[in-house]
Amino acid sequence: MHAVDSRQTPAEAPQAPPPRHVSRRVRIRSQRDSRVAWLLSLPTLVILIAMLAYPLYRMIVLSFQNMRLRELFSGATPPWVGFDQYTKALTDGVFWGVVGRTAAFTVVSVTLSVLVGLGIALLMRRVHAKVRIFMMVAMMFVWALPQLVAAQSFRWITDSDFGVLNYVLTELGFDYATHSWFVNPWEGWAVITTLVVWAGIPFLAISLSAGLTQVPKELLEAATVDGASPWQALRNITLPILKPLLMIVTTLSVIWNFGLFTQNWALRDGHPEPVYQTLATFSYTQAFGRSNYSYGSAIAVITVLLMLGVMIFYIRQMFKIGEVD
Amino acid sequence: MKRKIALAAAVAASMLGVAACGGGSSDDGATSATGKVDGAGKTIKVWLMVDAESAWKGVVDDASARFEAATGAKVNVEYQQWANHLTKLDATLAGSDVPDVVELGNTEFSKYVFSGGFAELNKGDFENSGTWLSGLSGACESEGKVYCVPYYAGARVMIYRTDLFQKAGIAEAPKTYADLLAAADKLQAGNAADKKFSAVYMPGQYWYAAMSWVKSTGGEIAKKDGDKWVGQLSSPQSVEGLQKWVDLTKKYSKADVTKNENEQAGIFSQGSGGIFYGNAWEQGVAEEVRKDPNDPNSPLVPTKVKGKLAAAPLPEIPSFLGGSNLGVTAKSGNKELAAQWVKYFTDSKSMEGLVKASALPNSTALLDKAAADNPKIAPAALSAKNSWFPPNAEKWADVEKASILQTMLTDILTGKKTVADGAKWADEQIAATLNEA
Repeated sequence: MHAVDSRQTPAEAPQAPPPRHVSRRVRIRSQRDSRVAWLLSLPTLVILIAMLAYPLYRMIVLSFQNMRLRELFSGATPPWVGFDQYTKALTDGVFWGVVGRTAAFTVVSVTLSVLVGLGIALLMRRVHAKVRIFMMVAMMFVWALPQLVAAQSFRWITDSDFGVLNYVLTELGFDYATHSWFVNPWEGWAVITTLVVWAGIPFLAISLSAGLTQVPKELLEAATVDGASPWQALRNITLPILKPLLMIVTTLSVIWNFGLFTQNWALRDGHPEPVYQTLATFSYTQAFGRSNYSYGSAIAVITVLLMLGVMIFYIRQMFKIGEVD
Repeated sequence: MKRKIALAAAVAASMLGVAACGGGSSDDGATSATGKVDGAGKTIKVWLMVDAESAWKGVVDDASARFEAATGAKVNVEYQQWANHLTKLDATLAGSDVPDVVELGNTEFSKYVFSGGFAELNKGDFENSGTWLSGLSGACESEGKVYCVPYYAGARVMIYRTDLFQKAGIAEAPKTYADLLAAADKLQAGNAADKKFSAVYMPGQYWYAAMSWVKSTGGEIAKKDGDKWVGQLSSPQSVEGLQKWVDLTKKYSKADVTKNENEQAGIFSQGSGGIFYGNAWEQGVAEEVRKDPNDPNSPLVPTKVKGKLAAAPLPEIPSFLGGSNLGVTAKSGNKELAAQWVKYFTDSKSMEGLVKASALPNSTALLDKAAADNPKIAPAALSAKNSWFPPNAEKWADVEKASILQTMLTDILTGKKTVADGAKWADEQIAATLNEA
């Protein structure tokens, strides 16, 4: 509608002197463009508001109340408790333990995935085209596997009674007959991290290998002619060119891994022990397991705030790339 | 972020349901199950757990037929899965289209009674209500009022390999705890070649078992002192029982210390166990499995231990009484009809049907007859007379959800904590959870 209206504005009047006419037309055009832009993004905005902004608003409201099962059943407005839920979380040692664990896991898993992803991407530039296609297809399969399915598969692989891992290790002569991989939290987290890194590599390797095609061959050749070692070429030519992309994929990995839920939830069969709780599972257990809906919401809000730092970094990087283009 | 948002959306989505439904029900006193109701043209919705469908569907159909003949109303039974039934129930009770009758596990009921999810009933309207198993009815009662009706119970027994007992020269099921340990020693010695062999298979997070040992020495999980709950696991009696269980488990079990009892029958059926502690019906689960586990109608195939198992009460260890209750939802539009259906489904005639299907009846008065009628459940029926149940606290379900006892047991078995330290930690956690405002 707006687009049609603007077309009929008197601005198009032929009497106007040429210079003014041009400048006005430019202004009108840009106004019309922005209206069209808004119109075109309207469906997306409506969906975003309905699916994201409103639930987020309700979650924030909920975190200032004390909603229990009784209120859920009766429909009564839960009592307002101000910052009580936040105070409860922020003064709870268990909560901070969960925050620390989630952060440590994020650092380790992201570092590993990015390093291995980059390594595979570099390898893909060097191998024969057929091998490259094979690697791509293999990674696509990993990528296509739903998280829950992958996690369940890992759960069965590492099962103490029926798992193939213990079977193979025992056949190889190690005493792993009924070894439980989740008794020792380090071993348990190694399994979870392996699963997350394994599932995260395809995205990283494929994105980075696409990025590597942007590194001009001539530069690398020139460097080789000038006597640069492969390591020097990587550090001084490839990585600087790859940096913006590397930043983005790393930030995305941080955001994804910080919200770890499916993997530790499924590997611990839906009831993770305290040492396997992350912020997401902790919030879920509080809200839906123990019907502390408000406390669960407060933890989710804190998680969102913690992520906001990383998010801002990500958005700034996106804008930077936009400017270069 | 995506997952975080999804979580946020999920929290919020459950809230939307709240906004949609109007005010709560007013307190109109108890719902009668004996009055004359004309149910013509009405249909009540009943949620039973899947066990009823797989093991005693005939009893359900018979009770519904008698109910329909008496009231003229129709019954629509929907069978639920244990894994997600509480989440589903929470979401459904938040709305207005609710089931009229709901089955819940006995340890799950308190929380819902406390939160106003169920309507008050007239205890006297139900047959055998004077002799209800207290382990079931305890969760139904609050401040002298009754909010649910005991449905059935399953008591835990010792299930053992008769062939291995014979080979080890053990003539009969152990009669004392000392006999049990002696039998376990012989089994262990006779099967030393099998690296996976557990003379007594005991998963580390099997808290129903561990707490049965605690009860056996006079210990308690928690006690109400005035209006506050106090954890009792670090009392000398509890620590003694816990130590007894830990000694047994460490010496005779190779089971995963981070697993619970859910898979124990399946693991036992692999043949590397001598004795396990389970529900009477788990003997059948260990001996036969469905060819296609996802299809309840597929044929049964025998396992390695088919025909080699027997059950007996575990000597000197009181049995944990698990079971289910039935309640009429507070939001139900057909409360009186719903109460009448519950009356038919829990009367002596229905209980006879349950006994035939190897479940225990809801009343102590029926236990002896049950043991005589169905030899398969005789050990369980005997066990049920000497049984225990978790503290009847509103927040008990939260102790289970927070895995407090499970974590304590794993920590003790792995040596991360001593029995005394583990018990002290659990007491603190239990008190904090049960007394939470």
